[in-house]
Amino acid sequence: MKKNLLVTAIISVAAFTNVQLAQADEKWDAIASTAKGQTVYFNAWGGSDNINKYVKWAGDEVKKRYGVNVELVKITDAGEVVKRIKTEKEAGRNEGGSVDMMWVNGENFRALKTNGLLHGPWAESIPSWEFVDTNKPVRKDFSETTDGLEAPWGTAQLTFIADKNAVAEPPRSAKELLAFASKNNGRVSYPKPPNFHGTTFLKQLLSELVSDASILAEPVNEESFASVSQPLWDYLDKLHPVSWREGKAFPANNAEMHQKLADGELKLSLTFNPNDAANLVAKEQLPPSTYSFGFTNGTIGNVHFLAIPFNAKAKEGAQVFANFLLSPEAQVRKADITVWGDPSVLDASKLTAEQQAVFNKRAPGSLTEVNPTLPEPHATWVGALETEWLKRYGSQ
Amino acid sequence: MLALAGICLTLFPIVPGLLWVLSPAFNSATWVELVQDGQFNSAVLSTLGSAVGSTLLALIFASLVTMWIYPGRGWSLAQKQLPLFLAFPHIAFAIGIAFLIAPSGWLARGLANLLEWGSPPQWVSIRDPYAISLTLTLAIKETWFLIWIMATLLGEQAISRQITLANSLGYSRRQVWITALFPQLLPRMGWPLVAVLAYSLSVVDMAVILGPSTPPTLAVLSWQWLTDPDDMTQAKGSAAAMCLMLLLGLLILTGRGVWWGVKKLYRNPSGIRQPGKIFKSRLLGGIPVFIPGWLSLAILLLWSVAGGWFFPKLFPASLSLKSFNNADFEPMFTALWIGIATVLIALPLTLAWLEWGSRKHHGWLYAPLILPSLPIAAAQYHVLLSINLDSTAIGVIWSHLTWTFPYMLLVLVGPYYSFDARYLCTAQALGHSRFQACLNVKWPMLIRPILAAMAVGFAVSVAQYLPTLFSGGGRFATVTTEAVALSAGGNRRVLAVQSLLQTALPLCAFMSAIVLTAWYARNRQGLK
Amino acid sequence: MRTLSIKQLKLTKVDGTPLLGPLNFNIEPGQVMTLMGVSGAGKSTVLNWLIGAPQPMFSVEGEAWLCDQRIDLLPTEQRRIGILFQDDLLFPHFSVGDNLAYALPAQTKGRLARRQAIEDALDKAGLSSFYDRDPATLSGGQRARVSLLRALIAEPQALLMDEPFSKLDSTLRQQFRRFVYERISERKIPTLLVTHDAEDIPEGGKVLELHTPDSTATPSIVETSHSDVPHKITLNG
Repeated sequence: MKKNLLVTAIISVAAFTNVQLAQADEKWDAIASTAKGQTVYFNAWGGSDNINKYVKWAGDEVKKRYGVNVELVKITDAGEVVKRIKTEKEAGRNEGGSVDMMWVNGENFRALKTNGLLHGPWAESIPSWEFVDTNKPVRKDFSETTDGLEAPWGTAQLTFIADKNAVAEPPRSAKELLAFASKNNGRVSYPKPPNFHGTTFLKQLLSELVSDASILAEPVNEESFASVSQPLWDYLDKLHPVSWREGKAFPANNAEMHQKLADGELKLSLTFNPNDAANLVAKEQLPPSTYSFGFTNGTIGNVHFLAIPFNAKAKEGAQVFANFLLSPEAQVRKADITVWGDPSVLDASKLTAEQQAVFNKRAPGSLTEVNPTLPEPHATWVGALETEWLKRYGSQ
Repeated sequence: MLALAGICLTLFPIVPGLLWVLSPAFNSATWVELVQDGQFNSAVLSTLGSAVGSTLLALIFASLVTMWIYPGRGWSLAQKQLPLFLAFPHIAFAIGIAFLIAPSGWLARGLANLLEWGSPPQWVSIRDPYAISLTLTLAIKETWFLIWIMATLLGEQAISRQITLANSLGYSRRQVWITALFPQLLPRMGWPLVAVLAYSLSVVDMAVILGPSTPPTLAVLSWQWLTDPDDMTQAKGSAAAMCLMLLLGLLILTGRGVWWGVKKLYRNPSGIRQPGKIFKSRLLGGIPVFIPGWLSLAILLLWSVAGGWFFPKLFPASLSLKSFNNADFEPMFTALWIGIATVLIALPLTLAWLEWGSRKHHGWLYAPLILPSLPIAAAQYHVLLSINLDSTAIGVIWSHLTWTFPYMLLVLVGPYYSFDARYLCTAQALGHSRFQACLNVKWPMLIRPILAAMAVGFAVSVAQYLPTLFSGGGRFATVTTEAVALSAGGNRRVLAVQSLLQTALPLCAFMSAIVLTAWYARNRQGLK
Repeated sequence: MRTLSIKQLKLTKVDGTPLLGPLNFNIEPGQVMTLMGVSGAGKSTVLNWLIGAPQPMFSVEGEAWLCDQRIDLLPTEQRRIGILFQDDLLFPHFSVGDNLAYALPAQTKGRLARRQAIEDALDKAGLSSFYDRDPATLSGGQRARVSLLRALIAEPQALLMDEPFSKLDSTLRQQFRRFVYERISERKIPTLLVTHDAEDIPEGGKVLELHTPDSTATPSIVETSHSDVPHKITLNG
């Protein structure tokens, strides 16, 4: 009797699961067929040639295989797109919005989520989700849960770049960086906040300087912010006088820092992509003696995502595109340092040996050492740090 | 009537958009926030400094150049170079200057080779906190513009006779210019000067490339704030935009006051003839004012064909056409079709207005030329958003019309109004309707200024930055938007290529205008 | 001696074809020599050469002497020659009085003295209390008179006139002509007048007729007299 019950239970669960799967398949087929012929306007940071080329490749593939057109809209900061979607919502534009999919994370995702500007949940219903490595922090974005409103696309980690001929022994912590800057007067700087590279640099310093790093995982507390962040401002007050332009001006973005590194105007540059330097060396934008390095105790790393606004015109097309971007083929190509070199979010064990080999490719300039990943502070720290920085150093 | 309707369609919709954009500025809380923002004071100072400085410098340079080489072989040489440098877009020119004077730029490399520097010097050239490099670069570009304006004014024969006459009274050339010519020319340059001032006050793209960043100029700050998701920041952006307009008004009033004072100095001439240099018609005199332009162009060309080129090499380690081969020509084509479409719509509007519109009350049509462009671009976006035309090609073209139309009007208004009305009368007397007469007689006779106006309109459309960004929702990447985006570091070769493409477009437009005029008038002397 | 002498004046076009010359003539103080000829014969060129204005279209050889000083090598501002054009060319940013003050030599010093001198000149010309008037508010005839006054108040040694009467209507023309010739003979200034209209020729004045190169006639100087038939003098050279 019990055995029969058990068997029935198992069969019904199996049947139910099959039905679910079948339903899911049907749903996906429906989405895929609606997507045919749609045009997806993909808003993404356009500051790197390699990324733009990769997206173009992905767009061409998606057109060939699924009949979806992808148009890349290059932006300088995801905040602009958030503003645009917000304006559209305020103007009553609940359909046919100008953005179909955007590359986003962190405080911008949080702004979108809290203002109800996102479509979804959809991220975990796409077929490629099964390849994603859920051990990686792919369900939390700067300590904010994604709730399936955004799909992970790749990982990033703050990495530093220097020239072997100019810097034989690089600094490997905030303290060493300050000493390095003092010895190399006027040759160290960082992008001006609120540029996201600059803000992340601030977060990196703060995480090393604060007495208890776990406080950063919590939302920022207005009362305690001043005392918690004080070590950072003290540090910067010491760093700025010995940095480039005496801290009275800052490079606009990390691309400018790369250029200054190439010319020797700066001794260090930074990036989120551990393979960025390799790409730039290959394109003759950085000298061949360039190398990447991290900090001894690690640098901040995060996952970056793809999200769909609530009023997107081509929601289905966006999902099809996202699905392709998360597929093993696309992720492996993305991780190829001769193409982009952005690490994958997929579980390597679910891939073939050939594909895994791509992850291990190296080229001159890329990061060869192990650089532990530190978690991102909570999204609310971003705004607080940027505002305070502008107040103190924004006008000289 | 149709003309009026067309104009209204183009320009009036902006008004509600403008009110929408500026409405947060009517809230006093916004102003309190604005003034308290640490960046505000320095931003205003650097904006005022660069705007007033560049306008005054441009006026002085243009006057000195004209005084020095008009009229002679040097002047003709200068006139020949003017179209090239008028067509040279502001942004491309600024990028070339940045390549020249940056601490890792060409000049520094030259010095590094002489003085054996290992690393770029620590000097502050571009993006300096006092906006000096911005001021000077603006001044140079505007000098060329003012020389062109002066050339059109001086083209009248009466001026050369006045010089002869004043000379015969015993005055040296320099004195003739200062006492007799400038007092006549300057009032007639009033509106061009206002346009120059307005441009410098509200320029965003040049300020991003060359201007200070801590803090940026008020126009850039306003733009950054207007595109921020936070509501209060947006409101500050509106207030800052309004502030720019108020500043312009104040400066115009100040200018008028200064001019009124200067006029008083001209009373009761004392008759003292000061000795002066004798005018020699120097051919080479026509070059110095364009040297920065030539250098900028040269460095752009060099960068576009450079291989690896690091400090302190004076010349690239290798030359290659790789950058051109791999170049993305799409932004150029985008700018091309947008420009052509804009001009093709603006031309009938302009002609219709000139022909059937009011002759007296057209001052307001020039408003976009003297108002800051940022609030207008933002207003256009809101208007388009409310009628669901944002991020469309039509939206972008419409937004470009706002500036293309007044510029074309400006170029055509002189020749059009001075066109002998009797030709038209004759044609009509022969039985043609007014429209037919225009089509067959008047407009073909005005082919030269019409083609010139079209070239100007095209150049204006290509150079639009903010409207393309705002109204196009970022979807339309033109050479201009690309160049500005790339200008903050990154691949200098790609930047040089895009800048050259950006320059090539208006240049081709002007050359086509000249060639087409010559071809059309090949058997008709009277049209030249 | 305040005589304007032209010696061996030759005009050649840019491509080398000769246009005019060689020409020699003198203008005595107080005398008016009229230069006549069809368009393109070179009248304005001679004038421009005398005043020192640049002319890209022709090359000019010859000598001009005034008060026993060679002036064709001097810059315009040192030649002490006045010029009157078709248009009055009163400077619009100066008042009538200031236009004259501009021309008045600096030897007359002091605001009051200068104003007095100008008021005197205006009075004599029938334009009293016109000192502070805006030139644009004057009639054509008044402007022409001010223009002449301006040329004369600078105390020139010679005067050139390029069709100065052609923009005036016939009654004004006669009045102004009389005004001009009175002043000239009063001050004894040698004058060269270029005109189309034979009526502009003053009595007792000489006429130099220029012909275009393709005509067979050589330039000739003719003296008008009271009789109808001009008495021709043939030139040497």
